[in-house]
Amino acid sequence: MHTFEFIRPIDPAAAIATAGQAKTAQQGADVRFVAGGTTLLDLMKLNVETPTRLIDINRLPLDKVEATPDGGLKIGATVRNSDLAHDPTVQRDYSVLSQAILNGASAQLRNMATTAGNLLQRTRCMYFRDTAMPCNKREPGSGCPAIAGSNRMLAVLGTSEHCIATNPSDMCVAMAALEATIYVQGAKGSRAIPIGEFHLLPGTTPNRETVLEPGDLITHVTLPPPIAGSKQIYLKLRDRASYEFALASAAVVITVAGGNVTKARIALGGVGTKPWRSPEAEAVLVGKPADIAIFRRSAKAAMRHAQPQSENGFKIELATRCLTYALKMAMTA
Amino acid sequence: MPSSKWTRRDFLETSLKTGAVVAAVPAALQGQDSQEDAVVAARPNIEGTLPITLRINGKDRQLRVDPRTTLLDCLRETVVLTGTKKGCDHGQCGACTVHVNGRRVNSCLSLALMHEGEEITTIEGLGVPDALHPMQAAFVACDGYQCGYCTSGQIMSAVALLNEPCGPDDAAVKELMSGNICRCGAYANIVAAIQQVRKNV
Amino acid sequence: MQTTQETPIVSPVGRDTPRVDGPRKVSGLAQYTSDFHFPEMLYAVPIEATIANGRLLKLDTAPAERMPRVRAVFHRENIGRIFRSFPERGFGGICEERRPPFEDDVIRYYGQYIALAVADTFEAAKSAADAVRATYAQEKPNVETHLDADDDPDVVLTTYGPRPRLQSHRGDAENAFATALVKLDQIYVTPAETHNPLELHATTAIWDGSTLTLYESSQGVVNLRGVLAQMFGLPKESVRVIAKFLGSGFGGKLYPWTNCALAAAAARQLGKPVKLVLSRKMMFQSVGHRPRTQQRVRLGATPDGKLVSLQHDYIYHRSMLDPHHEDCGEATPFQYSVPNLRVSFGRARRNVGAGADMRGPGRVPGLYATESAMNELADQLKIDPVKLRVLNEPKIDESLGVPFSSRHLLECLELGAEKFGWSRRSPEVGSMKRNGLTLGWGMAGCSWVAGRFSAAASVQLRNDGTARVASATQDIGTGMYTVLAQLAAQKTGVPLEKIEVSLGDTVLPEGPLSGGSLATESVVPAVFAAADDAIASLLTIATITPGSPFENRLPADLAFEGGQVFEKADGAAKGVPFDNLLRRANLRLVTGSGKSEAFFGNPKPKYSTHSFGCHFVEVTWQPEIARLRVSRVVSVMDGGRIINPLTGRNQIQGAVVMGIGMALLEHTSYDPQSGAPINSNLADYVVAVNADAPPIEVHFLDYPDKEINEVGARGIGEIGLTGIAAAITAAVHHATGNRVRELPVKIENLLA
Repeated sequence: MHTFEFIRPIDPAAAIATAGQAKTAQQGADVRFVAGGTTLLDLMKLNVETPTRLIDINRLPLDKVEATPDGGLKIGATVRNSDLAHDPTVQRDYSVLSQAILNGASAQLRNMATTAGNLLQRTRCMYFRDTAMPCNKREPGSGCPAIAGSNRMLAVLGTSEHCIATNPSDMCVAMAALEATIYVQGAKGSRAIPIGEFHLLPGTTPNRETVLEPGDLITHVTLPPPIAGSKQIYLKLRDRASYEFALASAAVVITVAGGNVTKARIALGGVGTKPWRSPEAEAVLVGKPADIAIFRRSAKAAMRHAQPQSENGFKIELATRCLTYALKMAMTA
Repeated sequence: MPSSKWTRRDFLETSLKTGAVVAAVPAALQGQDSQEDAVVAARPNIEGTLPITLRINGKDRQLRVDPRTTLLDCLRETVVLTGTKKGCDHGQCGACTVHVNGRRVNSCLSLALMHEGEEITTIEGLGVPDALHPMQAAFVACDGYQCGYCTSGQIMSAVALLNEPCGPDDAAVKELMSGNICRCGAYANIVAAIQQVRKNV
Repeated sequence: MQTTQETPIVSPVGRDTPRVDGPRKVSGLAQYTSDFHFPEMLYAVPIEATIANGRLLKLDTAPAERMPRVRAVFHRENIGRIFRSFPERGFGGICEERRPPFEDDVIRYYGQYIALAVADTFEAAKSAADAVRATYAQEKPNVETHLDADDDPDVVLTTYGPRPRLQSHRGDAENAFATALVKLDQIYVTPAETHNPLELHATTAIWDGSTLTLYESSQGVVNLRGVLAQMFGLPKESVRVIAKFLGSGFGGKLYPWTNCALAAAAARQLGKPVKLVLSRKMMFQSVGHRPRTQQRVRLGATPDGKLVSLQHDYIYHRSMLDPHHEDCGEATPFQYSVPNLRVSFGRARRNVGAGADMRGPGRVPGLYATESAMNELADQLKIDPVKLRVLNEPKIDESLGVPFSSRHLLECLELGAEKFGWSRRSPEVGSMKRNGLTLGWGMAGCSWVAGRFSAAASVQLRNDGTARVASATQDIGTGMYTVLAQLAAQKTGVPLEKIEVSLGDTVLPEGPLSGGSLATESVVPAVFAAADDAIASLLTIATITPGSPFENRLPADLAFEGGQVFEKADGAAKGVPFDNLLRRANLRLVTGSGKSEAFFGNPKPKYSTHSFGCHFVEVTWQPEIARLRVSRVVSVMDGGRIINPLTGRNQIQGAVVMGIGMALLEHTSYDPQSGAPINSNLADYVVAVNADAPPIEVHFLDYPDKEINEVGARGIGEIGLTGIAAAITAAVHHATGNRVRELPVKIENLLA
């Protein structure tokens, strides 16, 4: 681990001012916010993250879950994942979010991890995490050894020839299905970013993962008012029964009336280079009978543009089954 | 160099530089909310370390740590409370589980200097052989270990679980204890010990 | 060692006994290697090669040396002299990776150590290690998974001595196969697996003049002392190795690895204690692994299922230099009755680290292959797989031509089937269901060797009524502390809570390796002999002490029982506690010594000594989401007399859990481009977690095997892992119709 200055700002403005001095907010950032530290310290120990300044935001007033005037929910950046998952409003109205969080990591990590930190969780690709290996995300142009190497856990959606790294977050998949908005305060003021626009595809610049600029501090996330009568399921498939990242996962929020799907929000995890909202899957469902044949068609549509690698082609079939079954489960949720 | 009018507010706003010669944070200022002057308590300056105070098992400890020191390594190497174990150093095994403000966390993925003002509890703070915590006693009775290396983490996790939402059946306990790997595979007995305590609590 | 007041009193041998070291373990007071602190102790972090094949051309250590608090960066030029070691006669001086660290500039596996940074703190040492720059001449590494046997001689030298590649043969296996009416010919593959005990390998080395003390996470302190003494050119008595508590090892900590010598050399050069703790990543690279195996099994049988031919030809991968032998064919010659048999092996060199014994070496992958073949044969012939085992149960060990000392496999099968409900099985694929899930049922037989290492122990009776038992053996989680206490309690009548146990230190009488499931079996005669010896001395003291109630009697007229001395003619009611007699004699203690010889690997034994058992497994299968889980297991073990059923059941359950990992989750993956074990962490190398563990019902037959020792105890640490993977894959097939012959079974195997 490289040595660093440790800064505890007294308010968000001070945090932003200091972070604004960073060269970048993306890979290679020299200034980082630290909240739970579960991603950052993990990667600092590997020298993948090498900040020379850490800004501790844990004691800033960003830790509340509150109702918003429009009947939605405001979730502070430093709310712990476990608190968020157990929040009564979340469990009642945004249950897919609670399910997703509780399917992720371990109880210890959920107690440490925060909303903002989880939004910024970084890929688990083994080559990315090893500085002895080439990696276009760490060092643009050095190559992607995963494509010809070990890629079973990596992505089939949103990949490019430069990077196939999966986004590992469960929380983000649920937030994508819930159409969360991320609020950021920065050097130039504050802005609201729909979650679908927050994470970037790797394309030719896999080192750029989000739209954040230096100084940008996520202050909170809002969820729109809950869809009345919605059925919500998060289904995660993995090799072992717990404490593992997804091979494939699905977040489903649907409403059904008169036997037909009236609203559908679908997002996939474990298969995309970013949390994968699937309008393709949603389009197949809306207005159609809520039966297994439609569900299967929807899932196939979600995976239509998937690109298999040498070891992860099975994810296409697995994710198809995952989404199909999640929709089926939602019917009795 | 800071003046003798160094206030706590100044301290908080200013970076704590490492590797440079800087005065120790006056011990007298720690825990003080007033902005008045305090006598600078001179301490030998070990290059690259910062002074912090950690409250561990109910006792305040004044320490000097490399800022990179994790809470885990601080416990094991600086404070020399070695009951908490290092199994992977990357939050993947749970052997390093301790309580911070009563909640279980992986001490390997947190910096020591982030925990000033918080209550840290380690396995040593739970009980001793002549006065075991009920969870420790249950592990002994149920043979909830083999080599014992994951045991501190298992017990700290289990005790915290008593205060978390958890369904009554074994499956719920197994899921919530899955963040503590036992390579010896003593899972059945670990669950039995926990369920025994839950029944009696 | 004191137990708490909550734990039950003394249990003699054969009763559930809470571990005497339990209270220390649960309160964080049990000290493992890296828990010890010494004044002025320094921290060492090795630097790993980032190629798997080539030469180290240049090492730039200057920036690292200049970093704050760094004491030194060691490499070939400045580590000082480290010699090689060689095997001692009579099972000593064993080491898997013989090449001393830094011996030459050739890199043969990824992660091979090329330098060592030593600093005042761990953070500073790690930082310095990260700052060392190496330049290599890199060649393409060979980590090819398909194995073709190297051109090896007919007899190869392995870690444990020469082994013929034609391992066992009788009759004419090829011809009998060719003419058999029923044939099966399959290849079974097990991947490289990594031990991954929770405790990271660690060494702390302290020199005092020319005496070296090593705190080491070692399963064999006596052996390690011998090897390190050789490597540093010291007499054995100048080296002391201490391992009081071990965070297990599963075989990976049996023998020294390069970190031991590195820590010792650094401590020697710097004149300060040096602690070296491996990272989890290093655990995959440089402290051994179970090699990949590729095993061809050919069975010839009659249509009724009687075996007429068995050929087991296997290949495993090995490192470039080291001779670890994965003896997959160890059980094949005697597990079944078959008149025509051939077992042979080949090896394939790869750019990987040295292989090592991993829980159930050889026999675990080997029985996976042969038991899988038997299960496939049963399916092919539509015979119940249990019946197939019964049909082919040997009356004697057909390879040695001698009877088994105590083999009750048939009874294991009968009991297991009954407890599992096997009679309710319907053999058609996918035909069994419960709660909307498809069930799969499978079974397999298993076995493990029984024998003894040589062992020595001492027992002291003390004038306060306490006793002490000591042996330089280890407790790796098997419960050795408690076993020693139970054995001493049995003989001396001293209650368990008054017995102090001392182990894990080479100053103590030479105890056995904690390996091969042999340690418990080995200490029994040594402890009993030591106790008898102490008692004999006590009886003599009773007869010669002035004022003793037994003064001037003959020792032969006296008896000792339950801690009391009495005249045989008078009976136990007139007994005098031994501590009274010691106090009367103004003696603090009386010490007895006991030794027992090895009983192992005799080419012409009177009996064939093994433990036997079987597993019955149920899996649930949900095709809609391709979710397969092991839902229950029944394991029955004929493991001799079980000294402590409480810890014994835990051992079997733990082994079955590891077996679930072996069958469904674990494999070390070597990156073809770099040769690195790429999944070198506990998230990417997947072991079973709590939620994976199903109810595992364990039964012991508890037949004593008096050939092994007086108690009739055999070891049970490894047998639970043998056979389980074959039972699981049989269950997988029963549920899904998929026959998986390469472990681990993966979701993608089941999606068809």
